[in-house]
Amino acid sequence: MSELNSKSFSGDLDSQGVRVKIIGVGGAGVNAVDRVQMTPHEQVHLAGVNTDAQALDSSPIGEKILIGKSVTRGLSTGGDVEIGQNAAEKDEAKLRQVVDGQDLVFLVAGLGGGTGSGAGPVIARLASEQGALVIAFVTLPFTFEGARHHEVAETALAAMRTHCDAVIPLPNDLLLQQMDESATVLDAFAQADAWIGRGVQSICAMLTQTGLINLDFAMLRKVFQGRGGKTLFGLGRGEGDDFMQEALNDLALCPLLHTPGFAKRADSLLVNIIGGTDLSISHVNQIMTAIAEKFGSKEQIVLGAVVDESFQQSVEICVIGATHLAGYRPERKSRPVMPRVEATPSPEPRQTRRATTDDELFDTSAAGSNRPVHESKLGKRQQTQFEIDQEEFLFVAEDEQRGFFDNTERNIFDGEDLDVPTYLRRGVRITL
Amino acid sequence: MSQSRIIGAVDIGAASVTVLVGDIVNGRSLNIIGKQDATSEGVKKGEIVDFKAVSNSTHAAIMGAEKSAGTQIEAIFLSQTGSHLEGLYNSASVNVSASDNRVSDADMNRVMSEAKNKKLAEDRLYIHHIRNHFLLDGRPTREPLGMQGEKLEVGYWSVLGDERKVRDHIHVINGFGLNVEDIIVSSIASGTVIATDEEKRAGVMVIDLGAGATDWVIYQNGVAARTGVLPVGSDHINNDIALGLRVNRKYAEKLKLSFGKAVLEAEDKQEKVWMVGDQMIGDRRIPKQALVQVIRERVEEIFELVKKQAGELCSAKYLPAGVLLTGGGSQLDQIDVAAEKSLGVPARRGELPSWVHDNLQRPEYCTALGLLHFALSGQTLDDTAQQRRQRGLLRRVTQLFGT
Repeated sequence: MSELNSKSFSGDLDSQGVRVKIIGVGGAGVNAVDRVQMTPHEQVHLAGVNTDAQALDSSPIGEKILIGKSVTRGLSTGGDVEIGQNAAEKDEAKLRQVVDGQDLVFLVAGLGGGTGSGAGPVIARLASEQGALVIAFVTLPFTFEGARHHEVAETALAAMRTHCDAVIPLPNDLLLQQMDESATVLDAFAQADAWIGRGVQSICAMLTQTGLINLDFAMLRKVFQGRGGKTLFGLGRGEGDDFMQEALNDLALCPLLHTPGFAKRADSLLVNIIGGTDLSISHVNQIMTAIAEKFGSKEQIVLGAVVDESFQQSVEICVIGATHLAGYRPERKSRPVMPRVEATPSPEPRQTRRATTDDELFDTSAAGSNRPVHESKLGKRQQTQFEIDQEEFLFVAEDEQRGFFDNTERNIFDGEDLDVPTYLRRGVRITL
Repeated sequence: MSQSRIIGAVDIGAASVTVLVGDIVNGRSLNIIGKQDATSEGVKKGEIVDFKAVSNSTHAAIMGAEKSAGTQIEAIFLSQTGSHLEGLYNSASVNVSASDNRVSDADMNRVMSEAKNKKLAEDRLYIHHIRNHFLLDGRPTREPLGMQGEKLEVGYWSVLGDERKVRDHIHVINGFGLNVEDIIVSSIASGTVIATDEEKRAGVMVIDLGAGATDWVIYQNGVAARTGVLPVGSDHINNDIALGLRVNRKYAEKLKLSFGKAVLEAEDKQEKVWMVGDQMIGDRRIPKQALVQVIRERVEEIFELVKKQAGELCSAKYLPAGVLLTGGGSQLDQIDVAAEKSLGVPARRGELPSWVHDNLQRPEYCTALGLLHFALSGQTLDDTAQQRRQRGLLRRVTQLFGT
C-alpha cells in the first residue's frame, strides 16, 4: 500500500507532522517489522530491538539495537522473561534514544518468549515517559505452544497494558482461523504480520492523509487517554459493486472482534474510513450508523474519512476504541509534543491511582491475578432509549456480546482454559 | 393408617431449575405428584455466580411445583455439582478385637469412622462417603459382621466440596423457608436412576451432560466407585458456536438444536443453513460444516477430558455394561457415536426406568428423579439403621451411603 504515502507529504511531516516509529521487539517483533518495511513508509521510521545478535544482523531494518550484551553476550534470552527484562533495563539509555522525540510509537512484539515479553513492557514504559503515544500490537502464542508460553504471555500482556496507551492482542490461534486448511505454521506467522501491517497502515493513513473528514493525532491521543483498559480493534474491507455492505460484513466477521478477551464495546471510539473518490457522505453515514449501533458509545465517537484514489470501488474501515477501567476519570494529557519530563506523569503516580480503584487487580506480579477485570461504564447505560431501539435490529444484549464466561473463574485443566472454544485451542479452522 | 411425607427434589442447573415433588408413603413407595421447571439465572458451570438471581428462579420453581402438587413440601433434597467437587479414595484397617476373631459391630464402627474421619482442609467438607468394599484378611467381603478374621479393612470413595459453595446452595433453599434434608452430587443422583442394578454390578459409567457441567460416575460391583465433574457443558458448546460463527447466543442455541450434531458427515460439507430461518433482515447462511466442526471439537474434548479424569477405570475391561449418556446434552444428534469414539467404550443414550411417567421421560429430569430415589431409600434406611444423627445438615449429608 505504497499509495498511502506520497512524497510531498513526507517533507511536511518531518518538519511539523507527527513523528512515528515502529519498533519491533524480539524475534517475532523484528520479523513483523521487516515485513512492514516492504511497503515503504517515508515518514515512518523503523527500529528493531533484540537480544539475539545473529537474528538482528540478518534483518534489513535500518535502526537495529542489540540489548543485553552484558547479560546474554549477544545470544538470545532462551525464552527467559527475566533475562529479557534485565537486558532492556541494562540498556535503558540506548532504548531511550530510540524512542526519543517520537510522538507515536508502535510496539510490535510476540509475547510468550523472552525478549518480547521481558523487554517489551520496558520499552513501552520508556516511550510513554518520553511523551509518546504507545500502541502495541502483540501476538499471543498458539495453544499448542504449551501452557508455559501462555502464562508468560498473559503476564506480559498485563504488563504491556499498564505501560501502553493501547494494546492490541493478536492471538495466533485466532489468526489461523483466517487461513486455508493447507496453511503452514509459517503462513500463520505471516498472517499475524499481515494484520499488524494493516493495523499500522490504517492508523498511519488516518494521520497522514487528508480527506472528507480529517482525523489528527490529537484525536487519536484522546481516544486512548484512559490507560490500562481493553482496546477494541477491527478492520473490514470491501470491494466490488456492493463494497459498502461487503466492508460492513467483513468488519462484523473480523476475528479480532470475537475473541473472549477482547473489548466489544468501547467508551471511546475512533473510526476511519478509507475510500475512493466515489465514497459519498451517505456511504460514510451508513457506516457510522452501523458502527455506532454495534459498538455503543455515541458520546465519544470520532470519525475520519480519507479519500485515496487507488481505493476506487472499495473501502476499508478501521475501528479503534478503548474501554476505560472502572472508576476511571478522564485525565488531561499533555499535547503531543512536549518536553519529555512533564509530558506524562511518571509511572508511579499512575500506579497508585489505579491501586486505589482496586488493589489486587493490578498486581501484575502475581500470576493468578494478571487479568484485570474491566468494567465498562457502558453497563449502566444499557437501558437507554438508544439501546432499546436496537432490540429489533438484531444486535445482541451486552451480556451476550462479551464472552459468556468472561466474568467467571478461569477453567484451567492441564494448563488450558477450557472456557476458550476448543476449535480455537486446537487450531481447527472454521470457514464461514 | 398410612403416613405420607412430601419431599421436594431440587436440581439447580445452569439452564434450568427443576423441582419434582414426591409423596413418600409409609417410607416405602414414592408417587411423583408435582413438577415445575424454571429458566435458571445466575448459574454458570454448575456454580452460583449470582445468588439473588438463583434464589429468584429457584423459589419460583418451588412455588410452581407446590402449586402443581397441591400441597406443601416438607423437606428438600438438593443436587450439587461444580468444579469444586472432588473425589478421594479413603481406606482404613483395624485388627479384629474379639478373642474368637469374629468381627463385631464395634470393629466395623471403628474401621468405618477411621476411614471417614480423615482430616480435611479448613473450607472443605465431605458430601458423601460411598463404601466400596470391606476386606477381611484381604478377601472382599460384602457383610463381615460375625465372620472370622484378623484384619478388617474398608475402602470409601469420598466426595468432598467447598463448604462455602455447598452452603450457598443450601441458603438458596433456606431462603424459601425450607430445610435441606440431604445433598446428593448430581453424578450419583443421575447414575442411580439411569443405570440398572445389573449394569451397576457388571460395571457401567454414566455421563450426565448438563448445561453448565458434565458429571460422571463409574459403578463397580454395584457401588459408585469413582465420580467426577468436568465444569464444561452445553453452555460451552453454545459459546463456541457464538464465537466461531459470530452469532449471538440465542441463535447459537437455536442452530445447535436444529442442525447440530457431534460427528461431521460427508453430506454436511456442502450444506448451508439459515441462522434465523424466517427471512428477516440480518439473517445469513451458515455452512453446516462450520457449525458441526465447532460442536464436534468441543464434544470430543469433553469426552477426552472425562476419560482423562476417570483414568484406567474408563476402559472396556472395567465397563462391560458400557457408557450411558444422559442429561440435556445427550440429545445432541450422534453424540453416542462421538462418545464411543473418544472413550473407546461402547456408549448409548440411557433410558429412564419404565415407572417414570411419560412426561418425565426426558434426560434433563434424570438428576431430579435420582434425588427422589434417594429420598425414598434414605427413608427406608432411616427406619432400619436408626443411625441418622440429628445434628447440623452438613454432618448428616454423608449418611446415605455410609451405613
